[in-house]
Amino acid sequence: MSVVTKKSCNIKIDGKEVSAAEGTVILEACKQNDVPVSNLCYNRKLLPFAACRTCMVETVVDGKKELVYSCTQPVAEGMEIRTGTEETNRYNKACLEMLLVEHPLDCPICDKSGVCPLQDNTDMLQMFDGRFEIQRRNEPSIKTNPIIEFYLNRCIMCGLCVRACDEIQGVQALDFHKRGMSVSIGTANDEPLDCEFCGQCITVCPTGALMDMTSGARGLVALFTDTHTTCNYCSWGCTIKLESKKGQVIRIEADEGYDVGINEGNLCAKGRLGHGIIHNAQRIESPLINVGGSYKEITWEEALQTIADRMQATVNRNGPDSLAGVASEKLTNEESYLFQKMFRGLLGSNQITNLANLRAPYLNSFTLNCFANGIASQPITKLQEADVVLVFNSDLPSEYPVGGNSIRFGTVFSDTDLLIANPRKVVFDSRAKVDVRMTYKHGADLAVASRLSRIIIDNKLVDVAKINSTVANYENWVQSLAPYTAAMTEQTTGLPDDVLTRAAERFARDADRFVIVGNDILDTNHGEEILNALLNLCTLVRHGGGGSVSIYPPREHCNSQGVNDMGCTPEFLPGYQPVEDSAANLAGDLLRNCINGALKFLYIAGEDPIHSYYKPQLVKEALRTVPFLVVTDVFMTDTARMADLVLPASTFAEKDGTYTNMSRHVQRVAAAVIPQGLSKPDFDILIELAAAMGKPFQNTDVVSVQQEIATVASIYKGVFPGNKSAQWQPDSANANPKFHANDTSTKQRDAAAGDYPFTLQTNNHMFHIGSYSQHAKALVEIGPECVAELHPDDAKELGISAGDDIVVESAAESKVKVKVKTTKVTSRGMLYIPKNWIDVPVNTLRNGEEGLVRVKVSKAG
Amino acid sequence: MATNDATIADQDVDEEIDLAPTEEIIKNLADNSRSLLIPTLQKIQNAYRYLPAPAMELLAEFFNITRAEIYGVISFYPVLLISEPGKYIIKLCYGTACFVKGAPIIGDKIHDRYHIRPGETDGAKLFTLQTASCLGNCGAAPMAIVGEDTYGNIDPEKTLDILGEYKIDDAEMLEEAAV
Repeated sequence: MSVVTKKSCNIKIDGKEVSAAEGTVILEACKQNDVPVSNLCYNRKLLPFAACRTCMVETVVDGKKELVYSCTQPVAEGMEIRTGTEETNRYNKACLEMLLVEHPLDCPICDKSGVCPLQDNTDMLQMFDGRFEIQRRNEPSIKTNPIIEFYLNRCIMCGLCVRACDEIQGVQALDFHKRGMSVSIGTANDEPLDCEFCGQCITVCPTGALMDMTSGARGLVALFTDTHTTCNYCSWGCTIKLESKKGQVIRIEADEGYDVGINEGNLCAKGRLGHGIIHNAQRIESPLINVGGSYKEITWEEALQTIADRMQATVNRNGPDSLAGVASEKLTNEESYLFQKMFRGLLGSNQITNLANLRAPYLNSFTLNCFANGIASQPITKLQEADVVLVFNSDLPSEYPVGGNSIRFGTVFSDTDLLIANPRKVVFDSRAKVDVRMTYKHGADLAVASRLSRIIIDNKLVDVAKINSTVANYENWVQSLAPYTAAMTEQTTGLPDDVLTRAAERFARDADRFVIVGNDILDTNHGEEILNALLNLCTLVRHGGGGSVSIYPPREHCNSQGVNDMGCTPEFLPGYQPVEDSAANLAGDLLRNCINGALKFLYIAGEDPIHSYYKPQLVKEALRTVPFLVVTDVFMTDTARMADLVLPASTFAEKDGTYTNMSRHVQRVAAAVIPQGLSKPDFDILIELAAAMGKPFQNTDVVSVQQEIATVASIYKGVFPGNKSAQWQPDSANANPKFHANDTSTKQRDAAAGDYPFTLQTNNHMFHIGSYSQHAKALVEIGPECVAELHPDDAKELGISAGDDIVVESAAESKVKVKVKTTKVTSRGMLYIPKNWIDVPVNTLRNGEEGLVRVKVSKAG
Repeated sequence: MATNDATIADQDVDEEIDLAPTEEIIKNLADNSRSLLIPTLQKIQNAYRYLPAPAMELLAEFFNITRAEIYGVISFYPVLLISEPGKYIIKLCYGTACFVKGAPIIGDKIHDRYHIRPGETDGAKLFTLQTASCLGNCGAAPMAIVGEDTYGNIDPEKTLDILGEYKIDDAEMLEEAAV
């Protein structure tokens, strides 16, 4: 951290001189220096607890010897530490011995077998001859929820699960029950566990008392094959460990090792339980050709030759720019690169895009504007050391759950201040001492972001003169903030000015600041302006204050960043080199250009725009019109059902490459199993397709394609990872700082309430994202059906009670029926519907509407 | 081993609970600091004789803690009950002296007649059996407290005679007392 630097202490561990930051507990200092100390209840992500009493060490400070528990005692200057002395071993062994009286020896069928701290400590302390009579508990295992099995006979009461649930996840679904000899772990009133199912408790449990029921095998996990790879759901980019046995992925675990990934061994439900998509009977297993409405299996050779011929014919008849491609935000960087290379290099077409770019091309400009303004942003691994975090319109536990974990860690260990701005009263429990909640009127994002800047300027919270001299158009921008007076903002946002002032003061202090922006801003009609306003706010503190500021663009899927970095956009080549102005840009309005006949061939690599794009009617019409449609995907989506040719793609667990997360960390994707059926990674498909066209790519393996990328896109030089990942850095930062004044006068106003009194908010459910998670059995079990949310007072007025079915109608003349629950999280006048269920097609309610969608709600008859 | 475990409440019984007393108790609290949780639980138990689940939901909301944490606290203290106890709580002393002088036999007798073990309530909701670590009157071992009445030097064989005096219907009990 820039603001508070910790002093370091010189200490001696077993005679070796080392140094450790002030405040580090002895056990952590030992671990950092590879000195083993017995312990069972310590985890560096949690506050010291000292439950197991097996980590005693001897310390000498100023000649005075003491026996201390190393998990709670911090290091001190000049401290000499001795581990594993005869005396400490005697104490540590005695405590371990007590635990072993009760602990069952069912190791062969235990999920921690071989990776068990209790086994390791027993071995370390040579505790093989207990003095006491064995007295085992015989409690039945508890399987009252679909995910986590409680087998408490193995529990050693270390409290790691209880603490992880509270401190890391902020949920506290578990607690200790009873006391003394009969103490145990349990849920409220022993009811079935109903939580975020992040499984953090399974990871931290040292003994297999908590087990993942989605696992395909029991016991001997040390014999599973581990593959470290990157999760394929949201854009946070967690490193996960795919554990496989006999060629099948059995389960997904987190790796809590040092310097593994960006997630410190934290995962969410999707990341941990979403492995059901890998070995799945619903997968497409062969290339399919559409013969008069039904699909016939064909060979890869036939399929690829058909596509190659068709592409060549289309180039010849209608010119290269009549071919277009949509790259999925789930393709690897290498696949995305080859995808655009095929279109640009082999076909001569610049008509490639991805769905995020099609909807919001300003996301990429925003990224580049940040660099120009000198905001390169710190790696996301630094988030947990932040002084202040502004979470703007993001429901963290659903959108970036592991980001939430990092922030919570910061609130415990770095005194992070939390500023949460959201139209809903989102749930985020942490230990933040400063926790400012800005719950504003739905759609008032821009006013909130702009007012924060204006308060900083008006109250001179930063060095205004300095900014005026460094950033040329400062004055112009300040003038554009004129409408955001305290009174006007309060009227627009419903927020009292003192709340915003408090937030602005916290944000303006010299500090390491982080801004996390949610994808919901894209649904407001002011996405670009909101990003500009937030960038202005960051620029203000970057150039007028001390410390640092980091802001990341909203990215939804695992490689939403990378697919743009690789140039799958009509505006940019790989590495954000601009495309010549003269080039035709038909992909910018892809759907209409399909409908009006300008585009004759469309290749969709792994997307289902019929459901995921916000203009479902237009998508259907475009796909119906375009003369030839190729879709590659893992599952038979509704989009694939409209294709002329469908190619079976592999899942992330079957391919190699890299994903780039929303903070630009380039991380490895590694194959754990061979592809199911005849499916192939998109990488192989593209290589073979080029060959079928008679223009084979020179580089045909992942590593050489990575080398090619590094030469073509200089920002990717030296970032392709081994087992450590790095954030790519812009070529030049702070080149041309300027403020982006917003002119919203030409923007279409949000529709007035009229007959549609509610505004609709849709985003990803906590257990689902994209088109794959609905195929993961475990995720469907915990998130089986779509449930809308309504404020209890609104529900009461409409005569609706929780559990009722409601009918939602929008001006787009669309109706959906959905179950509803009441919660005060969703503000009055708002209706929240998660967008991940095909049977509740919320995008049809939107149907192309750029701004807030107004709906009316009635009880289903 | 014998403890004062409370029985798990019947999950499917959806009793109507009058939450007014709970609301009143919460309204009179100075603030929502965590240190007031245990006194509040005691007050609610005084009002209802136990801690009804809907009342605990109100408490969780008021103190801004999870239900898991509240039930963690409740289960720590045997005196706090999560289901309605019988009309009379039998506190059977299991201290060393009482134990040696026949407390387990008394426990067995109670089980034979009322089919309850420590922590349980009989079907008629007449008795809830609890054990006590020591009631502090070892000279009169074995001893027990039934409702408000203290019994010392109990002859284990006469256990049921003592308990037979207690009836679910007050009128019936007075009648018998008169006879």
